[in-house]
Amino acid sequence: MNKNIDDKIVELIKKNENISNKEISRIIGIPEKEVEMRIRGYSDSREKIMIVDDEMATLLPLKRSLEAQGYIVIEAYDGYQAIEKSKTEVPELIVLDLMLPGIDGFEVCAQLKKDEITGKIPVIMLTAKDEVRDKVEGLEMGADDYVTKPFNLNELKARIKNILKRSRES
Amino acid sequence: MVYVSYEHSQAAIHNSVNTNLLVATENTGKAIDNWMDARKDDIRIISAIAENSEEEKFRKYLSSFQNEHEGVYQEFFIIDPDGKIIFSTLNNPSNVLKESFLKDALEGRLFISDVSLSNTTNLPEVVITNPIRKNDTITGIMGARVSIENLYMIIEGIDIGRSGEIFLVNNKGELIFHKDRFRILHENIKNNFAVKEVIYEKNGVGDYINYKGENVLGSYYWLPLYRWGLVVEQNRDEAYADMMTLEKETATISIFAVFCVVLVAIVISKRITEPIESLKNGAAGLVKGNFKPISVTSKNEIGELTEIFNQTAEELLEIRKKLETKIELANKDLEVKNKELILANEELKKLDSLKSDFLSLVSHELKTPLSAIRTSAEFLDSEETMEPDIRKEMLKNVISNVDRLTRLINDILDLSKIEAGKMEFHYEKVNVEEIAKVAIENIRYLALKNNIAVSMEIPEDLSPVLADRDKLIIVLNNLLGNALKFTYNGGRVILSAIEEKDDIEIRVEDTGMGIDKDKVSKIFDKFYQADSTSRRKTGGSGLGLTISRGIIRAHGSEICVESEPQKGSSFYFKLKKYET
Repeated sequence: MNKNIDDKIVELIKKNENISNKEISRIIGIPEKEVEMRIRGYSDSREKIMIVDDEMATLLPLKRSLEAQGYIVIEAYDGYQAIEKSKTEVPELIVLDLMLPGIDGFEVCAQLKKDEITGKIPVIMLTAKDEVRDKVEGLEMGADDYVTKPFNLNELKARIKNILKRSRES
Repeated sequence: MVYVSYEHSQAAIHNSVNTNLLVATENTGKAIDNWMDARKDDIRIISAIAENSEEEKFRKYLSSFQNEHEGVYQEFFIIDPDGKIIFSTLNNPSNVLKESFLKDALEGRLFISDVSLSNTTNLPEVVITNPIRKNDTITGIMGARVSIENLYMIIEGIDIGRSGEIFLVNNKGELIFHKDRFRILHENIKNNFAVKEVIYEKNGVGDYINYKGENVLGSYYWLPLYRWGLVVEQNRDEAYADMMTLEKETATISIFAVFCVVLVAIVISKRITEPIESLKNGAAGLVKGNFKPISVTSKNEIGELTEIFNQTAEELLEIRKKLETKIELANKDLEVKNKELILANEELKKLDSLKSDFLSLVSHELKTPLSAIRTSAEFLDSEETMEPDIRKEMLKNVISNVDRLTRLINDILDLSKIEAGKMEFHYEKVNVEEIAKVAIENIRYLALKNNIAVSMEIPEDLSPVLADRDKLIIVLNNLLGNALKFTYNGGRVILSAIEEKDDIEIRVEDTGMGIDKDKVSKIFDKFYQADSTSRRKTGGSGLGLTISRGIIRAHGSEICVESEPQKGSSFYFKLKKYET
C-alpha cells in the first residue's frame, strides 16, 4: 500500500518535474506534509535513528527534536519491537531505554550485537538508573554510549552526531 | 677418683719397691766394702807385723790368723822388690801374676787384684798386696790370696726376695759372683742392661729385660775401689706383686664400686622416675580428660607431690566438668543465636535489596516525567520556528508530566506519612453511598473513554460507617481506577456495599484480566506492576494499592482480593458501622 503511494508520487514527478507537493497531495489523496516527507525519503541521505522507550512522554519530545535536526526517527515501545524494527529498518543509530517492558534494554542490546546486520548499529543507552554498575553493564553489552535521565537534549544530540560521524568514517 | 688413687698408690708402691731394691743393693755394696776393708786392714796389719817379726814367729802368727779366718786366706806370701817369692805359707807357693801388683806395691800402695780362679782350689779369689817397709824403704811386698767365698756368703745372706738375683761383675762384664758358682768367670753378661750401666760406673735402678729375657727390676751399684759392679735383679712381677695386688684390688674395688653405684642409681632413679612417670602419665591423662588417681608408692617428696597432684587433678576435673557443661550451654546458646543472626541477616539482606529495588523504582518513576519535561522544554527553547501543533504537543507533554510528577510526589508523601504513622485521620460518620457517588464521578470520564460500564449497588438503608471521608474516597478512587485500567473495553465495574452485623463490606469488582495467583500477594507492594507492560498502558504510579491498604489498615481493617485470571478481580474491605 505504502509502496504504491511512493510509486505514484515518483510517477507524477517523472511526468512533471515542477509539480508541487500540494498538487501531488490532491491527486493521491494524502496530506501535503506526508508527500513532503515521502519525497524527502527517496533521495534521503538523512540518517535514520530509532528511539526505544515505553514512555511516550520521553519518546515524543526526543523524536520531535531529532526530526527537527533532520534525522528520520523510528519509534519502538518495547524490546521485541526494537529488535524486529532494527532488522527491517536498519537504522544508523539506536537510542535505547533500559527500563522496558518484556525484555529490558541490556538484553535488547545483547541480542542486537549478536546479529550480523544489527550488530554494527551504534547504541546509546538511556536510563534513569545512574549507578556505575549499570553503566558498566551497559557498556559491556556493547553500548557505545550511556546517557542518564533527565538528560541535556543538546548534549544527547551532540553525542548522536559524534557517534554517527565515527560510524560513517569507519 | 678410684683411678687417681690407684695411680697414686701405684706410683707409691713403685717408688717403695725401687727404694727397697736400691737400699738392698747399697747395703750389699756396703757389706762388700766392709768385708773388703776388713781384708785390707788385715793385710796392712800383717804387713806391719812382717816388718818387725822374726820368720818363725811370723809363721805362727799367720797360721793362727788363717785358722781364725777359716777358709778366707788361702796363702800369705812375701815377695822381694825384685819380684821373687821370699816367703809363703804354702810349701809350693802359687804362681801369682806379680806384674799386676808389683808396680802398685813398689809405689807404696795397697793393691787388690781382679777376681780370678785360684790355681790351687779353682775357687774365686783376689790377691791383696801391701808393701812392707823398713825405715820408709819398701823392703818387700806382703801378699795374700783371699778366697771370697766368705764374701759370697755375706752377699747371699742379704734378703733380696725370692726371685732376686745378685751378680757381681768385673769391669769387663764377667760374672765374679753368682749363687751358681760354676758360672763365675765363665760367663760375660755385659749385654745385660744393668751390667752395661754399672761398668760405665753408674749407679741406678730400672725396669728392663735381663739377659735371660725376663722382665726385671734391676738395681746396680758401682764399687770403684774394686772396679766391681753389683747388680741386684728382681723379677718384675714379684717386685711389683704388691702393686699387682693393688691393681687387681683396685680394679675389683672399682668394678664393685661402679656396679654398686649403677645399682644404687638404678634403684634410686626407679624410685624417683617411676612416680614421676606416673605423674607425667597422670598429667597427660588429665589433659585428655581421662584422669585416674595415681597410686602413692613412696612417702618422700615425690609421694607428697603425687598426693597434691591427685587432689589438684580432681579439683581440676571438677572444674573442667563444670566448664564443659557451661561451654555446652554457651555453645547451644550461640548456635541458636547464630541461627537467629543468620535469619536476621537474610531478612536484612532482603530488606536491603527491597530498599535498593525501591530506590531504583522511585528514582525511575521520578526521573521519567522529569526527563520528559526537560526534553520537551529544551526542544521548545531550541527551535526558533516551530509548527504550532508541535509546540502545543510539547507544552501538553510538559503539563501532563508535571501533573504526573505531582501525583507521584503526593503519593510518595502520603505513603511515607502512612508508613511513619504520621498521617492524620479524621473519623466521622460517613455515608457510603455518598462517597461512592463522588468516587464514581471522578472516574466517569475514563470509564466512558474506555467504554466500561461502572455501576453502583448500595442499599438505600445502608448504615453509615465510621471513617475518614477524604481518605476513603482516595481508596475507592484507587480501586476503581485499577479496575478500569485492567478491564477490557466493554467490560464492567461494580461498586457495591453489603450490611453485615457490625460492619459494612465495600467491594469493587471488575470483569478485567484478573491477577495470577502467584502475583496476588505482591500487588500491594510499592511500584509493583503485575504486568510489566502495564505501566505504559495504565500510567499509574504503582503506589495506589499500597496507599489504600495503609488507609484501610488505619481503619482497623484489611483489603482482601479475590481474582481469577481473564475473568476479573474483586477487592473488598469491611468498615465499622458508625455507632451513635
